[in-house]
Amino acid sequence: MSILQLTLAILKPHIVKHPISLEKIRNIILTSNFKIVKSKRKTITVDEAEEFYEDHKNKFFYNRLITFMTSGPSDLYILAKEDAIKDWRALMGPTKVYRAQFEAPETIRGKYGLSDTRNATHGSDSPESVRREIRIFFPEFDVDKWYSEEEPAFRAKHVTFSDDLFIHKASIS
Amino acid sequence: MSTYRRVLNEISANSKRFISGKRRKYPINSEDAEKLPVFQYTVSKKEYRRVFAWGNLQTGALGIPALKRNESIDKLYYLQSPKRIGFGEKFEVRTACCGFGFSVFAVNSNTNDKIYGCGINTDSQIGYHEVRQHKPLGLIFYPQPIPLPFLSPEKSRVLKITAGRAHLVVLTDEGIFTLGNNAYGQCGRSIIPDEDYSRSNYINRIETIDGKKIVDIECGQDHSMAVTEDGCVYSCGWGADGQTGLGHFRNTPEFTRVKGDIESEKIVRLSCRSDFVLALNNKGEPDNFAGSCSTVAHSETHKNATPIGKIKSIASGGSFCVVVLVLKLNNRRRPILIPETLFGRNDFQPNNIVRKVTCGLNYAAAVTSLGDLFIWGRNKGACLGLGTEKDQYFPLKVAMGGHVQDVFCGIDHTIAICKPFI
Repeated sequence: MSILQLTLAILKPHIVKHPISLEKIRNIILTSNFKIVKSKRKTITVDEAEEFYEDHKNKFFYNRLITFMTSGPSDLYILAKEDAIKDWRALMGPTKVYRAQFEAPETIRGKYGLSDTRNATHGSDSPESVRREIRIFFPEFDVDKWYSEEEPAFRAKHVTFSDDLFIHKASIS
Repeated sequence: MSTYRRVLNEISANSKRFISGKRRKYPINSEDAEKLPVFQYTVSKKEYRRVFAWGNLQTGALGIPALKRNESIDKLYYLQSPKRIGFGEKFEVRTACCGFGFSVFAVNSNTNDKIYGCGINTDSQIGYHEVRQHKPLGLIFYPQPIPLPFLSPEKSRVLKITAGRAHLVVLTDEGIFTLGNNAYGQCGRSIIPDEDYSRSNYINRIETIDGKKIVDIECGQDHSMAVTEDGCVYSCGWGADGQTGLGHFRNTPEFTRVKGDIESEKIVRLSCRSDFVLALNNKGEPDNFAGSCSTVAHSETHKNATPIGKIKSIASGGSFCVVVLVLKLNNRRRPILIPETLFGRNDFQPNNIVRKVTCGLNYAAAVTSLGDLFIWGRNKGACLGLGTEKDQYFPLKVAMGGHVQDVFCGIDHTIAICKPFI
């Protein structure tokens, strides 16, 4: 079994406020064999959001992204799986919800997205952006340290799942 | 009476033994039968309405706790066809509204409890409800009263309710009441950073705007609009896509006059379900403000000059809009007429015309003058009520036990208020 890959997933504010959708998306994460390395619920601040979306700074949708992401608490997860980045983006579906409803209605965005801005979830697009995004939202989390200390246990599936915290922990063997 | 006699004679001719034979305990006396009084059939009360609901059951927005006794709600996901809800039998429901996963009903009442809400309540959009202290309920499965701070509850009436994604606006004789999420200022009060909306008990009352009485309200997903008695439109809330039509893209925490072509018009009706607003002036021409669907948004209102005839009713959904009299669908550049035959106008019902259109996020509904409901669009959570979970690509009549008066569309559920047949 090859080495695990990390990705950052964000469940956006309108999903966190909808208990049924939240439950279902969490179920999708678990049944797709993702391991949740870190889990956090917080309201993203304007500074964090601006740093997070700095690539889109001059795009017309920048303002709506920032105001939307900072409007309420979001769920932030670091997910681990063999091909995590690609798999999570495949689960999410196309970025634009109105397109996803036609092209991939069974994906998360096709099912739970409300409009092109309120598109339910975020997923990192490359290993570099994973490190950058984790540094923004989980400054206390050291990716290299995790790879050296905990990754073997996660790969060997020596983990226990904590339901109330929604997190996998490496069990001491 | 004569039919009764004829039937009686026929029966007695065929089987005399049973009717007039010795076996009958009390033989029928034909003289007495003629003296029997003719009673008026019972008719339902004038104010009585039947309330039907269908769609996603899991959020509790339908107000149906369980279909059968001892049956767990977890096993049921969708209600595929309309079901009459018990709440409507106990209260005289005047109007209702569907938000995003919650519903609110307005009832006849002399107390402060004039509106009842059920469904998702994570932002206190249907009031603060708790079972234990400091443990707010996130889901409510049966309509619960939402006490509004009326000055004179005996006289005041609720005129209209509208709901957005996570907020509620109630229009009454005493102005408007707003409750729920205020992260973008959509409740018309100043934005408090890190406010905990899940245990918010705050109801905002706005009596007048600029000293003018409010006559109509409408909610988008995260913004609110109000029409005053002189036909001016005011808006507040999320403006990042120009939904508020104020000439900028910022959040607006208090009701402000909408700018653009609309300023010179007298507006009578607004329609919005997502981020796109249609306004109708008193001459029957639509104005639209704010488009959002992945194009650069307009921040000011624009008059739509397409001459398509006088418009009676308008509706706007997530990525489309519908207008009525000559009914047009605007999902392309030019509106297209939907054939009237699809709305039940045929040789047998030549006078059946579409009276009203309403939009959900991804579907639309039309009520005709004969009280039929036609529905089409995307069938998220079986919200179309056609008995299937498939999408519907043209209008189809919903089977319902009553003459439909009004229909309210949400995101994955629908509520209809009907007059009984008799």
